Amino acid sequence: MTDASVVFEPLRFRTLEIKNRVFRSSLAGRFNDYDGMGTPIHMNWDLKFARGGVGAIISSNAPVHPRGLIVPNYAHIDRDETIPFWRELVRRVHEHDCRYIVQLAFSGRQRDLGGIQFEKGWSSTDRPEPIHGLECERMTVAQIQGLVGDFAQAARRAREAGADGIEIHGCNGYLITQFLSPAINDRKDEYGGSLENRARFALEIVRAIRAEVGSDYHLQFKISGADYANDLFFWQRKGTPLQESLQVCRLLEEAGVDGFHVSSGSSFPHPRNPAGDFPVEDVVRGYDTMISSGRHTFRNYLIFRTWPLNRLFRWAWQRPSKKRGVEGINLGDCRAIKEAVSVPVVCTGGFQTASLVAAAIGRGDCDGITIGRPLIANPDLVRLWESGHDRPARPCTYSNKCLINQLENPLGCYDESRYDTRDEMVREILSVYDPPPFT
Amino acid sequence: MADPIFNPLRFRNLEVGNRIFRSSISGRFDGYDGSGTQTRINWEERFARGGVGAIISAWCGVDRRGMIVPGYAAIETDARIPFWRELAKRVHEYGCKYILQLAHAGRQRDIKGIEFSTGISSTGKSDPLHGFPAERATTHELEEVVDAFAAAAHRAREAGLDGVELHGANGYLFTQFLSSAINDRKDDHGGALENRARLLLEAVRAVRARLGDDFHVQVKISVREEANAFLPWLRHGNRVEESVQVCRWLEEAGADGVHVSAGSTFPHPLNPAGDLPLREVRESYDGMISSGRHAFRNYLLYRLPLINRLMQRRWQRPPTEVEGMHLRDAKAVKQAVSIPVLCTGGFQTASVVRRALADGACDAVSIARPLIANPNLPALWRDGHDRPPRPCTFSNKCLFNLLENPLGCYDESRFETREEMLDEIYAVFDRSA
Repeated sequence: MTDASVVFEPLRFRTLEIKNRVFRSSLAGRFNDYDGMGTPIHMNWDLKFARGGVGAIISSNAPVHPRGLIVPNYAHIDRDETIPFWRELVRRVHEHDCRYIVQLAFSGRQRDLGGIQFEKGWSSTDRPEPIHGLECERMTVAQIQGLVGDFAQAARRAREAGADGIEIHGCNGYLITQFLSPAINDRKDEYGGSLENRARFALEIVRAIRAEVGSDYHLQFKISGADYANDLFFWQRKGTPLQESLQVCRLLEEAGVDGFHVSSGSSFPHPRNPAGDFPVEDVVRGYDTMISSGRHTFRNYLIFRTWPLNRLFRWAWQRPSKKRGVEGINLGDCRAIKEAVSVPVVCTGGFQTASLVAAAIGRGDCDGITIGRPLIANPDLVRLWESGHDRPARPCTYSNKCLINQLENPLGCYDESRYDTRDEMVREILSVYDPPPFT
Repeated sequence: MADPIFNPLRFRNLEVGNRIFRSSISGRFDGYDGSGTQTRINWEERFARGGVGAIISAWCGVDRRGMIVPGYAAIETDARIPFWRELAKRVHEYGCKYILQLAHAGRQRDIKGIEFSTGISSTGKSDPLHGFPAERATTHELEEVVDAFAAAAHRAREAGLDGVELHGANGYLFTQFLSSAINDRKDDHGGALENRARLLLEAVRAVRARLGDDFHVQVKISVREEANAFLPWLRHGNRVEESVQVCRWLEEAGADGVHVSAGSTFPHPLNPAGDLPLREVRESYDGMISSGRHAFRNYLLYRLPLINRLMQRRWQRPPTEVEGMHLRDAKAVKQAVSIPVLCTGGFQTASVVRRALADGACDAVSIARPLIANPNLPALWRDGHDRPPRPCTFSNKCLFNLLENPLGCYDESRFETREEMLDEIYAVFDRSA
């Protein structure tokens, strides 16, 4: 048996201590009201992981403004009326000696289902998002500054709700990436061009939050180590390279960031995040609902339906993870960031093997890890590790069926091969509705 | 002279304060698994506050395999009772009655969800428009369906609701048995009208047997089927006289009222009659592509302008022809039975309703879309308005938005601004109460 004890050592940030090195990464299901108000079902979902032993939960993608949703029915933190929901959720998570960090987010142009309120998303640019052709409006400087204020207000709400900290979602192709990435940002003003300019929006957010909530509140920043914007289509531009991200992290640390969360990719989803399979059949079933979202969605849908185009797409999708493996795919970039900054750094990317995590921490690749899909598959993963298992008996297969199903169905593990029967799978998925809101 | 619209209506076991029923309208406000939410309560409260005498609930599934889309509150287990109890409590505060619509989709499952890939039906044939797959129900499965309705009715009473409506209309499971255009069975549930009506009649009797005679049980039925109204190569389905005969049998079996609708499917050019909003159809139908064998073909067709024109020609009816279009059928039923008869179909003009009541075409009207547009319609009538200043346009945009967006009125022409429209749609989430 490998010694994984380092995984269970506390992790100390400047103003926050976590009981172990395992965070539940941000996972969003459409469990909430269309207008972004959280529900008891969302609480049921998060509590699964608090009970399972993670040290902290990073919330689902929580828009700081209604225009910044990805799809309707995620829990927002865009108005004071949402505070009681978050307060109750945090209170219940704390009962399990688990910390709660709210992920402050704004989708920008990357809105998979934009809802009825705003026809177009905001972005650094007015060019549509390239994969689905999601349209957007170029933000004015006044809009940018207004949104900086919205991030600060959202941070205040998180603090008022008793959350233990916040994470600024600065990666995976959402609005902050749309500013940081030279492959996307085409502005000529002080928010575009040089790295300093592209990072301005992120830095202003950090400073505004610090001004609003003070210096004694945990603030971490999620960043893509690199964009790898041409992973899928080789003819596209690469986007932000690792070296630039290191510089951004140094600037962010100076501005008051207490920790970094390292992911990758210029979009979500991206072949490196969540890395793994492209589940063609589930995509055909789930993507249809996005056809009315963008300019290229119908074309994509036809590709996904059509052999051999869909196999080709799948091959291209799987290439990076076949080459590097899924588990720990971001550790290299993470290590570079950790060497560049002095605050703790946590890393995401398919972790489910205790010895591998312990080795990564031991080597100094990261200080902790965050887990999304493997915890959907095994919410009690940390307990399994604690009891000496190196890997769960039925590990996550990185089928990514969870991801594509969450548009139309409750978030959960949809890989039938992991269950004895389909009924068992359905029962497990629907267990999030227990208890119901009225009992 | 008292306004007949505001005379109470007495059923055998239930008295309703006036002649206005909120007809069943759904909206995906609830949990994927069928658990009810506060939003649903807010939605229903809106109509109770508006002054209708009774509310007929959203489409409420009695069985997990018989759900129409995920996200409608169901009553398939006892665990749902506390929600319905809370809802009834809120609605009763306004002196409004609450009737739970018990339903089984059969094969007509617009979004089938993750639990069952195939619905049961009278037939093994998929539905002709979307190609929703079907499995021919065995006799044993039909017994289970009948039991599920009885159990659901029992739960409704446990929850303090005022009655149930068995949904025998609009193409759902009971229609799939009743309809000569759909039912192709050779056993005692197919062939003669008597056989085709057996499942519905058995369900009514089972509810009665379970609950006794003192609980309100009404049945909704499509009197006019016109199964070939949209796809002209299909068979016509039941004639009005056949449906009237079914209503007589329903009364004998113990029904306390009949609710008259139309159409062999839902939606159908007869119900909800009016416009076919092509843009909304396209934007909403994409999410249904994986629901049926023909849905992708349909989606491709819906993108073609020529096909759009043909569809609209088959479907559309000018708004002036919508209101009261089923009154003739209701009158035929009313003359054949002695229990009260409700009629649905675009009612929003007080004088039209008064005339219908005076003519003996029906005993009350049930209203869906015009109440979405004007939840205070009863109050407007009471104040002497014949018609609301901003009436429902029968655009049917409400219907074609509800799969992906909150149910509400989406006809921008009825609002000063789009923001006003959105505010009203979002009002269902208001938590200040």
